[in-house]
Amino acid sequence: MSHANHSEAGGPTYLWLAAVPLSLFLLLVWGLSRHDLPWHVDTPWVPSLGLSLAFRIDGLGALMLALITGIGTWVFVYASGYLAHEPRRGQLFTVLILFMLAMIGAVTADNLLLLFLFWELTSITSFLLVGFNHEQAEARAASRQALLVTMGGGLAMLGGLVLLGQMAGTWTLSGIVAAGPTLANDPRLPYALVLVLLGAFTKSAQFPFHFWLPNAMSAPTPVSAYLHSATMVKLGIYLMARLDPAFNDLLFWEVMLIGSGTVTAVWAAVLALRERDLKRILARSTVSALGTMTLLIGLPSAGAGLAVVAFMFAHALYKAPLFMVAGNIDHATGTRNIGQLMGLRRAMPWTAAAAVLAGLSMAGLPLSFGFVAKDIIAVAKAESEIFTLVSYATVLVNAVAIAVAGVAAVRVFWGPLELPRNQVHEVSWRMLLPPLAIVFLGMEFEFFPALADPLLLAAARSIAPGLGEVSLSAAYDLEALLSATGITALIGLLFFLAWDRMHEALHTLNRFDRYGPAALYDRLLHGLARIAAWHTRHLQHGRVSGYLQLTLAALLSMGMFGWLHTNSRLELTWDWPDHAWAWAVACLLLVAGAAAAATLRTRIAVLMASGLVGYGSAVLFLFAGAPDLALTQFAVETVLVVVAASVLPHYGTAPLQQEPLRASSGVLAAAAGIGVFLLLVHLSNLPVNGELAEWFGRTSLAEARGRNVVNVIIVDFRALDTLGEIAVVAFSLLAALPLLAGLRKGRVP
Amino acid sequence: MSLILMLAISIAVAAGVLLVLSRDVFRLIVGLAVLGSATNLIVFAAARPGGLIPAVIEAGATQLPAAAANPLPQALVLTAIVIGFALLCFALVLGAYLVRQGGQQNVDRLAAAEPAATDPVKPPVLEQ
Amino acid sequence: MTPRSTLLMQSARPLYWMLLAAALWILLRGHNEPGGGFIGGLLAVAGSSLLAIILGIPAALRLQPLAPLPLAMVGVGLAVLSGLAGALHGLPFLTHLWTGIGLSTVMLFDLGVFFAVWGALTGYVYALVDAGETAP
Repeated sequence: MSHANHSEAGGPTYLWLAAVPLSLFLLLVWGLSRHDLPWHVDTPWVPSLGLSLAFRIDGLGALMLALITGIGTWVFVYASGYLAHEPRRGQLFTVLILFMLAMIGAVTADNLLLLFLFWELTSITSFLLVGFNHEQAEARAASRQALLVTMGGGLAMLGGLVLLGQMAGTWTLSGIVAAGPTLANDPRLPYALVLVLLGAFTKSAQFPFHFWLPNAMSAPTPVSAYLHSATMVKLGIYLMARLDPAFNDLLFWEVMLIGSGTVTAVWAAVLALRERDLKRILARSTVSALGTMTLLIGLPSAGAGLAVVAFMFAHALYKAPLFMVAGNIDHATGTRNIGQLMGLRRAMPWTAAAAVLAGLSMAGLPLSFGFVAKDIIAVAKAESEIFTLVSYATVLVNAVAIAVAGVAAVRVFWGPLELPRNQVHEVSWRMLLPPLAIVFLGMEFEFFPALADPLLLAAARSIAPGLGEVSLSAAYDLEALLSATGITALIGLLFFLAWDRMHEALHTLNRFDRYGPAALYDRLLHGLARIAAWHTRHLQHGRVSGYLQLTLAALLSMGMFGWLHTNSRLELTWDWPDHAWAWAVACLLLVAGAAAAATLRTRIAVLMASGLVGYGSAVLFLFAGAPDLALTQFAVETVLVVVAASVLPHYGTAPLQQEPLRASSGVLAAAAGIGVFLLLVHLSNLPVNGELAEWFGRTSLAEARGRNVVNVIIVDFRALDTLGEIAVVAFSLLAALPLLAGLRKGRVP
Repeated sequence: MSLILMLAISIAVAAGVLLVLSRDVFRLIVGLAVLGSATNLIVFAAARPGGLIPAVIEAGATQLPAAAANPLPQALVLTAIVIGFALLCFALVLGAYLVRQGGQQNVDRLAAAEPAATDPVKPPVLEQ
Repeated sequence: MTPRSTLLMQSARPLYWMLLAAALWILLRGHNEPGGGFIGGLLAVAGSSLLAIILGIPAALRLQPLAPLPLAMVGVGLAVLSGLAGALHGLPFLTHLWTGIGLSTVMLFDLGVFFAVWGALTGYVYALVDAGETAP
């Protein structure tokens, strides 16, 4: 860990940066108290692409903003303490700020493409944050995995959003939600939804994409607390909740969300039992909680909307502090393995207090907001008729959550202290205040639900517009509490007590890891590298003749393809130019030069022969009304032959070897010749479009004041092209200079 | 378009391809020159040249006579000739450099920049 | 290449000046009669190559306004500059302007083409000639 590797580093602690999220949070609170939701702005950006700077903040957006800026404030405080010994902390804070801005953009964007933009920005900043300790191979692999999985999903989501936008005829999220019910019969809807859900599932680590989140725990702990519990992983949940009012009635949507959510919640709960690393245990339980949220969104009842937002809120309020607790333990002891951690309460009383309070909320016990949330969830589930299997599954999931809470809050702090007393120390106030502050906030909301009520209800109404007037405190019902949570709590307690034994038992699952999605990811990545290497070796073999053969063959087959897809007439016309004898001479020069160049055996003769080809075309230009070209070609050919002759000694003095005519070369040459001939015949049968020539001829003198139309085109009508061309010629010299220097290096003194 | 011009261009292209596919560096570069000339001629021929009148507006006239040559392909070919010249010069320098470095004329053995692969996954690294 | 004919060495400079004069003439008349920056530039390249081969590269460099690379860059710069003149008048980049007495930004542009071709191609030519002289 960073603190172990570096001595105390000087420089700023960046504590003041916490003022950034804090001021944004205060701005939000001020705005909420003064103005009614929703707020929106819309400024055109690239109208032709349907891209506008459309932002809209409704209840759900405001709740997300409150989490991003509120939790963010404490995360920044925590990070300033956690990273006090990290010399590169400036970089981390920069990316954290960028991430926060991207998150704010993602949850406020109303334009679909804008949403995608911010969505991918959070993936990129997450990549940089997970890979912060880039000297560790593990962190590098984890960050790459997080990036590939979430970005791949993001791309799928883009496809889905574009489809949705085309179907609904609008590029705003609010427009799509409004148009939702009318899309139900569109055959493209399932594809669009699957694509969008791929994005949401990868971002929120739903099965089978759940594997990247625990690996992302190689990030510094403030990052885990912020991105991987409170904010970024909720983005997928946010999007599903956002779209839920539009598609809630679709069986397809319901089945996808409930099915995937249940599987994720259960499987992640089982996997949590397999972990020994405290942070990874918390990450697994986060995945499990995200699965529960997906499941809740899928439920058709209006109360489910309230349950989602309450759970999302409660989860952020207890999971972020728990991550901070894990970070404190790691910081103080240098290990996160729960096998070695016991009795820390004596050395770290404040951390222990924060852990117990957060654990209470996670377990859904009274005195915590988690209790309120759990109650609402139970009501929502009771309201909707869900499969018995799902309700059994949630019992298991909740029981594991209780056990995890017990491990994080009780197990590591109680019992005898195993580590030497002088090795363990309480951490600085900057790392203690944030978790304590957040859990106290959570408790406050439990006693005074009215504080959070308006925001939560507004958010719930964004998901379930039909939600009536309810008060969160009204959900208190002792009888229901005992019957509903009593049994879960009992099982949870059992799980907690039997944690180590279950851990042992679950070792048998290891043999299935080879077939899991994580293994599939590894195989895919490895396969990709192998394919890249394989085709590189076969395409980039270093043999120039092979490259040229492949290129020419490809060119010819493209021409052939085009030929087969045009209906061409092959009619030879026998029109003669004005000066047929001159053309005949020119063509003779061309053919003789080309044939001689291909057959002669001394370099100087080959060079001269190629010069004949140039002179031939120059003669042709001269007798075809192109004196400019003739002059240019003459000058070029002369200079080229003379200058090339001077460099000839470099190519050796021995005569060229007789090369046997290879079948491949012969076939390609013949095919090229025949192909060009056919092309020319085809061309000569096409009508001439003289429009441009006529226009240039008409406007050259009138508008550009030049009589030589060729020159006018070069320097005036198409001057930008010409500028590009002379720039290419000039800069190619720049590229050649190192080579020229290399030639000169071998100079004999 | 005159048949003999079409035939001449086709033969030049075939000869150019043959030269380019040669294993000798110098022949390859000459092949580039021949192919370049032939390509320019294809573009030029696409406008059906035939008359002798250049694309220049006569003194007293205000626009090009209908029988004048098409100026557009001429403008294209003119810049192509100059760029082709620069390309050939570059190729000649590069060829001379490679021949000096590699000590031979066979293009397929002048592969110093792309050493053979040794690792199944990693790209081969050029040794300095 | 060392034993050079005296006649050639004596006539190289006059030939160069003649070629350069022809190049400039072709450049200037290019807007109304066959010619222009590209052709003029190539004629100038021919002249410089002549000098480089007969009298050596230093002599050719002495009679050129700038060394090849700077000359080419100046050419590209002139062309850009001629375009900016129109842009300063609120017209699209590279819209040409004319003054009453027949001077125009088109001439500046063509001069830029001339210099760019002259500079860039002589850069190659000198390198090739130089390589030829140092050949084994």
